Amino acid sequence: MYVAVKGGEQAIARAHRWLADRRRGDRERPELEVAQIGDQLRLAVDRVMSEASLYDPELAALAFKQASGDLTEAVFLLRAYRTTLPRLAVSEPLDTASMRIERRISATYKDIPGGQILGPTYDYTHRLLDFLQLAGAEVPPAETRDDVTDAEPCPQILELLNDEGLVEQAVDDGSEPMDITRDPPDYPMDRAARLQMLARGDEGYLLALGYSTQRGYGRNHPFAGEIRQGQVEVEVHVEEWDETICVGEIALSECQMINQFGGSREAAPQFTRGYGLAFGHNERKTMAMALVDRALRAEELGEPISGPAQQAEFVLAHADSVDASGFVSHLKLPHYVDFQSELDLLRRLRREHARHSSPERGESLDRPSTEEDTSARKSGQGKHDRESGVHGS
Amino acid sequence: MAQRERVTTERMDRDAVSAAWPGLADPAHDSQRLFRQILGAMSEPGTLATLAVPAPPSDALGAALWGVVLTLCDLETRVWVAADLDSPALRQALAFHTGARITDDPASADFALLTHDAFDPQTPFAPGSDTYPDRATTLLVVVERLANAGPSMLSGPGIETIRALDIGDSPGCRALMDRLAANRASFPQGLDMIFGCGARLAAVPRSTRVRRADAKEVN
Amino acid sequence: MNGYNFAYLDEQTKRMIRRALLKAVAIPGYQVPFGGREMPMPYGWGTGGVQVTASILGADDILKVIDQGADDTTNAVSIRHFFQRVAGVETTTATTAADVIQTRHRIPETPLRAGQILVFQVPIPEPLRFIEPSEQETRLMHALEEYGVMHVKLYEDIARYGHIATTYAYPVKVDERYVMDPSPIPKFDNPKLDGNPALMLFGAGREKRLYAIPPYTRVESLDFEDHPFEIQRWEHACALCGSDHSYLDEVITDDQGGRMFVCSDTDYCQSRRGEVA
Repeated sequence: MYVAVKGGEQAIARAHRWLADRRRGDRERPELEVAQIGDQLRLAVDRVMSEASLYDPELAALAFKQASGDLTEAVFLLRAYRTTLPRLAVSEPLDTASMRIERRISATYKDIPGGQILGPTYDYTHRLLDFLQLAGAEVPPAETRDDVTDAEPCPQILELLNDEGLVEQAVDDGSEPMDITRDPPDYPMDRAARLQMLARGDEGYLLALGYSTQRGYGRNHPFAGEIRQGQVEVEVHVEEWDETICVGEIALSECQMINQFGGSREAAPQFTRGYGLAFGHNERKTMAMALVDRALRAEELGEPISGPAQQAEFVLAHADSVDASGFVSHLKLPHYVDFQSELDLLRRLRREHARHSSPERGESLDRPSTEEDTSARKSGQGKHDRESGVHGS
Repeated sequence: MAQRERVTTERMDRDAVSAAWPGLADPAHDSQRLFRQILGAMSEPGTLATLAVPAPPSDALGAALWGVVLTLCDLETRVWVAADLDSPALRQALAFHTGARITDDPASADFALLTHDAFDPQTPFAPGSDTYPDRATTLLVVVERLANAGPSMLSGPGIETIRALDIGDSPGCRALMDRLAANRASFPQGLDMIFGCGARLAAVPRSTRVRRADAKEVN
Repeated sequence: MNGYNFAYLDEQTKRMIRRALLKAVAIPGYQVPFGGREMPMPYGWGTGGVQVTASILGADDILKVIDQGADDTTNAVSIRHFFQRVAGVETTTATTAADVIQTRHRIPETPLRAGQILVFQVPIPEPLRFIEPSEQETRLMHALEEYGVMHVKLYEDIARYGHIATTYAYPVKVDERYVMDPSPIPKFDNPKLDGNPALMLFGAGREKRLYAIPPYTRVESLDFEDHPFEIQRWEHACALCGSDHSYLDEVITDDQGGRMFVCSDTDYCQSRRGEVA
């Protein structure tokens, strides 16, 4: 006698326990501390914070640990926590011009006021495995750190071009931006909403899209005008005291791309901009984001929309890794009711196909219906349905 | 020092407000219970529900509609208040209990509070658009009475056959039912209404067909 | 559960969803955008339904959760367990005993009664999405009641296969106005949408849309005069309860391809067997 599978609850509980065991690994070795992750795997932590849109290095490190190093899962964990947090205040816009710089480079000028500061970058490392790290070799302390962090705030390169009017101005019109964490997407979206969605978009996805613009699918001739990383103060205006106070500092990466100019009979040609911003040290993300931001401005700037990266609804609706991984992974859920429906239909169609494949092949399978198609298409206004033989039952 | 005094005075005012205009004793569970009644009323147009809500000091609004306000309004909603219901006390109570923003522009209101006497079909409440019909004002209206009797006959979604609803005989009440009857012509744009009479409540959304049994065709 | 509000969602989120639900009920079949939140389970796994249920559920409600018609599928177990934990509600597997039923892919065989609420988990709420991928375009098509493309699509199936090849998530027209996706229920369940005494609420979490069918609402499955809508039928009866009128799952019983058919609605099947015994 057939008995349906039971005990789902127990199976789930045991799976969770097994998972925790696997995560802990060999008990002979010390358990990974969250603080170690924050210290030594900081780029993973920064990426988790950015895509989860929550600046909390400790909890991001916890999420990374809990997810056994699965970044997408860690982003999801932290995002799900974020959504339960009350909103206590809204900060003033961050002033990245007054960033305490750790790294700051421009590809558009050889030398710049404030200097090119390489900072802690992988850029010029030779990608040779360092076998000494297997042996736990001592690492000497950094040398330039103090000089760098004491530096005065550096001017932003694009502001230098502003003086000549060579680059478009990004002006704050004072309007309240849409909040993508609270309001459903409403296409078309303005740039403020688009940038929010890109800021928490999956890095790999944005990287691929940004790359596609470089290969000709919506090319926009970018120059890395400036990339900067460092600490920025977060300020909150307290109405009761009528004062703006600093509530802390966060690490940020910012990329300003300078792109091919637009212009028209009325407006003189100017460089345009693409913008990228992310928590922590997240340079690749900000560059990709800036390329995609610029690509998404195609319509606004009167450019032909020829590449996938320029199609706002496509780009934005699929950027979020929590959305995407959830929906892809839901295919693991049982679908046997719908599959049964398809099985049933397929068997029927094959039976009919076999019947009609005999010499006296009937007409019903390939009866042309072009006329009906056309009339149904014309019946678009719905009210005409009955005239074209279309009706509800 | 001045700061502290101001805060203390504000707190006393707030205590006074909350004493006079009661809130929900158990916000999570009370608002859930009230919402289910409101949802039931909207799902089955014309059915009567009695809401267990502490009555506000002003009879003009009534317990049921005050309950609707407490259940649905918060700082994300804009509320328009007709002149005959408007008072500093109501405004304070709305701000204190819900944080809702009061608006003078009926077209930007999520909810409008009014009495049947104050209903003017010309008031430009938001009917939504064909693309976003949900962006429409919900009218919360104090009516003369609520009974399942003639003359208005309701049918459509939520109604198995036909349901009678009587909200009163005043010109305002008749105008309200006429306005509801007009919803069909502009559907999916339209106004949804929740009626209150004391602790009793009924709702008629825009999907409802409204016909007067005693009169010539409306509209 | 420590640190979380009753039914997980904060009150402000619940109010936002409740306001959207009232508009959904007022405009049957229209997809109301709402500020869907991340939930502690993945998008695509019922977050829309869970948010709707969390916004309507009360401490005295009795909750039933099914997936594929069954109470014991892992995702149904998981969601039921979530609500037991965050709302402390009583749960049941009996369709007749439930006040709120959250479902994925089925409508129970036992007729629902007035006062019950059926909450559907919806993956893709837009019935026109696979014909027109742009949200801006489909929104306009709904506004203009421009549904010709849907009929063309169905008719193309007829031209190719001799049948409409949509077997689940079969589009319906609600109250003669909106074309609506009934979620991926088999079309076998579509007739149950029409004139049902229960309130039916649909939640799509990832796509951030809610919609509703009020009780006793006219719901028609799209079809053609020469190809009327019809539901699946089986040549078999349920091997367990003998039902010849319920939706059956095919179960492979051995590696020689042996198979049997059993009710997908486990509660229905069990109660029938109880009656017979």
